[in-house]
Amino acid sequence: MLKGISKLNYSNSFFLLLILLLGACNNTEDTEKNRDPTETTDNTEQVKAYYSANSTFFSFKHLADLPDDLVWEDGSKLPEFGSPKAIKGGTQYSSLQDFPRTLRHVGPDSNGSFRRWILDDVSMSVAQTHPNHSDQFYPGLATRWAVSPAHKTTYIKLNPLARWSDGKKVTADDYLFSFFFYRSTDITAPWYNNWYSTMYTNITKYDDYTISISIPNVKPDMHARTLSLSPTPQHFYKELSSDFVERYQWRFVPTTGAYKIKTSDIKKGRSITLSKVDNWWAEDLKFWRYRFNADRIQFNIIRDNAKVFESFQRGDIDQFGLNLAEYWYDKLADDHDSVAKGYIHKTTFYNQHPRPTYGLWINSSKPVLNQKNVRIGINHAANWALVIDKYFRSDYERLRSTADGYGAFTHPTLTPRKFNIDLALKHFALAGFSTRNEDGILINSEQQKLAFTVTTGYEALKDVLTILKQEAAKAGLELRIEVLDSTAAWKKAQEKKHDILFSAFGVGLEMYPRYWETYHSVNAYDQAFLTDGSTNPERKVRTQSNNLELVADPQIDIMIDQYRASSDKQKMVSLAHKLDEALFDYASFSPGFKQSYFRTGYWRWIKYPEGFSQKHGSASTQLFTYWIDPTIKKQTLDARKSGIKFKPEIKVFDQYRPKNYD
Amino acid sequence: MFNPQTQKKINRFRQIKLGYGSLIVLITLLLVSLLAELFVNNRALIVKYDGAYFLPTYTAFHPGTDFGLGYSYETNYRELKLQFSQQQNDNWVLMPLVPFSPNENHASGDQFKTTAPSFEHQHYLGTDTTSRDILARLLYGTRIALFFSLGFTLCVYIIGVSIGCMMGYFGGVFDLIFQRLIEVWSNIPFLYMVIIVFSAIPGSFDTTGRICLLLLVMVLFSWTSMTYFMRTETYKQKSRDYVAAARILGASHSRIIFHHILPNILSTLITLMPFTIVGAITAITALDFLGFGLPPPTPSLGELLKQGTANLRTAPWIIIAAFSTLIILLTLITFIGEALREAFDPKKFTAYR
Repeated sequence: MLKGISKLNYSNSFFLLLILLLGACNNTEDTEKNRDPTETTDNTEQVKAYYSANSTFFSFKHLADLPDDLVWEDGSKLPEFGSPKAIKGGTQYSSLQDFPRTLRHVGPDSNGSFRRWILDDVSMSVAQTHPNHSDQFYPGLATRWAVSPAHKTTYIKLNPLARWSDGKKVTADDYLFSFFFYRSTDITAPWYNNWYSTMYTNITKYDDYTISISIPNVKPDMHARTLSLSPTPQHFYKELSSDFVERYQWRFVPTTGAYKIKTSDIKKGRSITLSKVDNWWAEDLKFWRYRFNADRIQFNIIRDNAKVFESFQRGDIDQFGLNLAEYWYDKLADDHDSVAKGYIHKTTFYNQHPRPTYGLWINSSKPVLNQKNVRIGINHAANWALVIDKYFRSDYERLRSTADGYGAFTHPTLTPRKFNIDLALKHFALAGFSTRNEDGILINSEQQKLAFTVTTGYEALKDVLTILKQEAAKAGLELRIEVLDSTAAWKKAQEKKHDILFSAFGVGLEMYPRYWETYHSVNAYDQAFLTDGSTNPERKVRTQSNNLELVADPQIDIMIDQYRASSDKQKMVSLAHKLDEALFDYASFSPGFKQSYFRTGYWRWIKYPEGFSQKHGSASTQLFTYWIDPTIKKQTLDARKSGIKFKPEIKVFDQYRPKNYD
Repeated sequence: MFNPQTQKKINRFRQIKLGYGSLIVLITLLLVSLLAELFVNNRALIVKYDGAYFLPTYTAFHPGTDFGLGYSYETNYRELKLQFSQQQNDNWVLMPLVPFSPNENHASGDQFKTTAPSFEHQHYLGTDTTSRDILARLLYGTRIALFFSLGFTLCVYIIGVSIGCMMGYFGGVFDLIFQRLIEVWSNIPFLYMVIIVFSAIPGSFDTTGRICLLLLVMVLFSWTSMTYFMRTETYKQKSRDYVAAARILGASHSRIIFHHILPNILSTLITLMPFTIVGAITAITALDFLGFGLPPPTPSLGELLKQGTANLRTAPWIIIAAFSTLIILLTLITFIGEALREAFDPKKFTAYR
């Protein structure tokens, strides 16, 4: 016994020493960043100084300065969505595969899948795109607005009732502050730095509830550009400085939306819960009043999809996405006990929405992959048709490009390269890979194998890769599959360490596709080209940007810049098509699959409004129009015990089924 | 070949029917898995084509063009067989018992999905979620697990025995320092460390490379437990007269450790061996189950167990096959271990028994 104790002390002191040593290293290395986290600062003066230093961008005027010829609109005639029958209250149970790495809205790791629950789907902007009329807007934080192409400016009357979730008023200052915030290098978010520096030219405060925002050129979707602006709580970011990333890591950013996260509800690694803002200011506002019905939404961390499904079958989770064929047809088949007894309802909803970009993102900065012929070969060696036919049971269709589903902006004729062993072999041979080794994998004259790692964070879709791997081997290409957890895979891709990434970008409802983020050279390398236009031999890969294919082509850059600057819809359409062609030629993306609907299963106590979702809805939970019926929940749980049956409900909503829509 | 003492122990082991029988079964299993390519494979055993015989099993791949087919990738021998039998000429193909490779998606219907065991389609244990043959995956997976665990045991023993014996033999400061190091090292949680270290290794290695790396990482974090036993045993033996005698005769340290002491502590070594093997099989299965082990599509027991639990209701044959294999394997090894312990137990004829 005694010996045991002394042993323990030995090892403890050893550890202590180690920790001290490590600590010491850390201290000397980086004193700037390790500012005392409890120390508070106030940047109010700094912000003021910034405004006056950039006086062309930040203007302060009076109401009398407003132009007289403005045509005000308020979107109030648009149809409301959600249902007046919605019951408020209750807790919705859901799950997350991985605990969010941060609660920040910007900066490293903030662009994960949890973002929609604290930002995209929840927070409010000046006005929002109507989910049924993508070119019209319903009011959010504004009461009315006037878009004036002549002035390249949108004038906005803010709703004086708007409050942050911490009770503070939302005023014009918070909109001005957005530009200070998103332009700050402290937030380590180059995309935002760029967007807020180049996409707007002026913001003017007329009084506390009147602002105007100007853009450099009148884009066809000027409405969306200016009305999607959202405020940033100045009082919350008073301490913004170089330690932003650590300081704000786990602080919930006050929101204008319906849900906040209490500190006590953050149980790291286990669960995180959204709860309704007390006396939410927009509770009775048209377009908002029948939504966000649940009081709390609890996300438990369940890493394994099979376990999530088991929890769902037990009723511990209310809803479960059934997009995968094996779930829709086999695991929760129509004759499944809970479905047949009517406890669980199944719904297919056809929607119209830009499609997530599932496919192989090829890192063209890596050796061998920097040869176009190899990339074309990979495109021809990827048997997506087989995956779609046999694994997805023909439920899905082939994605055409990263710009699929944008109507006229999507290239009308361009189709992705088909699986073709001969063409693949031909292109691999052009890149020097012409002999097969004893396993049938191609090698070049230096005995180098044609083998790449395919990284993915989609555990549920790893079978797709095993099928692609088998088929690619026929074309002499070896794919090595690496399945990481979703956050780790995304981190690897953001650091541009992948060879090939199997992933998808979720796409918002926008009029036209974006190219700058994913294909402009500034997002691929720091100083990709020298001043004379030649490739910079010492260029460094740019991390934390969405150019995952490391596309850097001066011609493409020029087109993207023109596309961004253009205000003529026709010109943009033709540029988009040209860009699609150029990117097709560059061959760094192997388009995978898309689906023109979403499928979901939910317990019968979850109720949806008539029509289920909206034309442009991307997921059943996106608009928060569902509600929880406590009586039915009790009734169902009792019925499950006693075996009472209800009418089974398997519904298809195809009122928005795309006809000639891609 | 053996000294009389050892011979006696071996004879004793052979008398324990359960253990001896298990050993024979396990060795047979090992041999079968070594020759797995002859039983379960999508490559033909023999192809007779245009008067020439081909034995594709262990050779480099034969492109389809070798047999008059229009493609340059690996011949699909099942189709070839069908084609030859339709042509009704002298050409023929002899396929193995189970004509599928473990990584091949072979749908008997239109879709890649789980199918129940079927003799008609020669999927004797059914298929998994992407229509891969379970028997094939099981056999190759077991082979990897078995040889992995043998390799693991060998490495752990070499390191553990050497260091443990040296600690016991030299004692003093050497012993003290190593004891503390081992205490610290063994406090690091094994599974977590393996997961962390292994996930930091880039995915650019091929499957064999990754298996070797995983072996290395696992050995790195599990050699310590062996040293405890070896240290105490050596400590005990060191004070015996025969060691002193050898020392006086001028034997070197290494000779004393490996030629004099080691044979005397062999029984501990052998008794512990089955537990190490069982531990290794369980560890690699657990890692695969958690998704941190061998990269897909490498066949493995853990991956099958995972699929099995995920499809418990829709495809129970997966879990039944994988679970039974694991149980049989571990039971066999445990029986062997039990018999070995009994055979090597020096206290057999003492009153303490």
